[in-house]
Amino acid sequence: MKMILLPTLSGSEFKGEIFMSHGGKNLEPKPYSNPYLVGLSLGLVLLAAFLIMGRGLGASGAISTAVAVGVSKVAPEHASQNNFYKEYLGDQTENPFKDWLVFQILGVIVGGFISGMLTHRVKFTVEKGPNISVRNRLIFAFIGGGFIGFGAKMARGCMSGQALTGGAFLNLGSWAAMMAIFAAAYGLAYFVRRQWL
Amino acid sequence: MMPYFKFDYFSVDFSLVIAFVIGIAFGFVLERGGFGNARILAAQFYFSNMRVLKVMFTAIITAAIGLFYFTWIGWLDLSLVYTTDTFLIPQIIGGVFLGIGFIVGGYCPGTSFVSASTGRIDGMVYILGIFFGIFVFGEMFPLFENFFNSTPMGRVTLHEYFGLSHGLTLFLVVLMALGAFAAAEWGEKIMAKKNGRGAE
Amino acid sequence: MKELIMKLSTPWKLAILAGLLGFFALIIGNPANKNVIDVNAKEMALATVKNQDRIDVMTLADWLIKENADYTLVDLRMEKEYGEYNIPTSVNIPIESLLNSDLMRNQKILLYGNDDVVAAQAWFILKSANYKAVYLLNGGMNAWKNEILFPKLDASATAEQTAAFEKAKQVSLHFGGTPQIVSGGTATTVAASPTATQALPKLTAPAGKVGGGAKKKKEGC
Repeated sequence: MKMILLPTLSGSEFKGEIFMSHGGKNLEPKPYSNPYLVGLSLGLVLLAAFLIMGRGLGASGAISTAVAVGVSKVAPEHASQNNFYKEYLGDQTENPFKDWLVFQILGVIVGGFISGMLTHRVKFTVEKGPNISVRNRLIFAFIGGGFIGFGAKMARGCMSGQALTGGAFLNLGSWAAMMAIFAAAYGLAYFVRRQWL
Repeated sequence: MMPYFKFDYFSVDFSLVIAFVIGIAFGFVLERGGFGNARILAAQFYFSNMRVLKVMFTAIITAAIGLFYFTWIGWLDLSLVYTTDTFLIPQIIGGVFLGIGFIVGGYCPGTSFVSASTGRIDGMVYILGIFFGIFVFGEMFPLFENFFNSTPMGRVTLHEYFGLSHGLTLFLVVLMALGAFAAAEWGEKIMAKKNGRGAE
Repeated sequence: MKELIMKLSTPWKLAILAGLLGFFALIIGNPANKNVIDVNAKEMALATVKNQDRIDVMTLADWLIKENADYTLVDLRMEKEYGEYNIPTSVNIPIESLLNSDLMRNQKILLYGNDDVVAAQAWFILKSANYKAVYLLNGGMNAWKNEILFPKLDASATAEQTAAFEKAKQVSLHFGGTPQIVSGGTATTVAASPTATQALPKLTAPAGKVGGGAKKKKEGC
């Protein structure tokens, strides 16, 4: 599999935010938007979800449903006896994928793609720092995903569910979880700096 | 009267359409913010690019202010909006795992989907990792089910817990966020100088 | 001053806006005050006159037999009375706990007490606290006992009345009551067991639970 590794100009892509790409066919990706405006938009989307649906955003729930359905197809009794999987399967009268979060995450995929196409940022590549190999980066990505999957269920939500949704609600547990997320990430940052810096 | 869905303005099936549309907006905004890129997300924790903090806190205070004022003018019934109960200790432990996953993997679940949809292979692998992590959680669930349900506090907010008014808490949160933004801007400037870049 | 504000970049403008909104929120305090209520007197009066909020016991009996479950039945009496007998699927919430209960504003709520009075008072409280769909059981538990559990047919009834009584008899037996035929002061029961007098049926069905109908999957995130 051929990887198109985006040559990086050290440092400047974070602030100046214009990626230069080699191979003249590619258009230059447009710079990212002002973070405060992005945050405002995100907050308005979240607010719209609250006002229209009476619930917030969330990402890990859709994957939990998929995992639960997968397990129930392979081992139905095991799944129905497990209190965790049970919640995502419903009472079997309706397709468990007819779930708000599943449709929402499908929209996320479409929305991200549309935005990427409009700004020429869709690229088949691996994002990594200059000091790590692609293979190791992918290993870390998988491990990171594993931790986040586990943590998201333990905390009853991921960043979208707890930090954003619960945070806007000023929930005690959500803010505690958010503090824990930042503390853990900052604490561990030094030890994994090889991957990014 | 809001939330519209809870007052039967539309059916469950239509709510799935709404879910899809909201999802599109969500994904679009995330990608615009650069959150489809693990390096930008991780840069937050090396102080070189504080986008994550800026976007997240701006979003939180925008929505929090919105919730407050819509409730105040009587349009929104806050008690009907779903929110998770607080289970203090498991949520903190979960937060630690989330933080580890964030810095090791470089994404959170929402942004990993945006990343995968813009072609990032590490994003796709990350999603596989999430499946695996949740699967492990599900299989191990009976072992720590009691822990999972420990310290239940029900639906409790910061203001309820500390005995403050909703408005005061909101005010403090806004102040904290604005302070964090100021610190972030200052931090980014320092790091920029340190990395040998001049005027941007 | 105006030029200064115009010159500020957008993030600054947003920050000032956020600060102002936060400050006003501080002054407002609590946006949703649960104890003070706004009453739209005209609306309430209209609802009372139209009588659309009253449900007959026979209608309720019908719903229960058909297992229609889109409402929450609330028993406003004291725990002891509730424990002795209550209408199946009802949940016991004394009137002072109504606003603190799990009842949601978008649920259909059907109230009953022993008679009409307590139910009407509870109806008023809930309607003014913005509960959208609140109904009263006409006649309360007394009507339930008289019409559903222990319906009486006069021995000298007309053919129509006898025919109508048939239905009442079936309904009564369904709920474990004892229909009776009255003739000149003495009542003979039509129920299966001759020993059954006007005893209240035993509670076999579990009491109902507040919190909406069958929610298949929890809302998660």
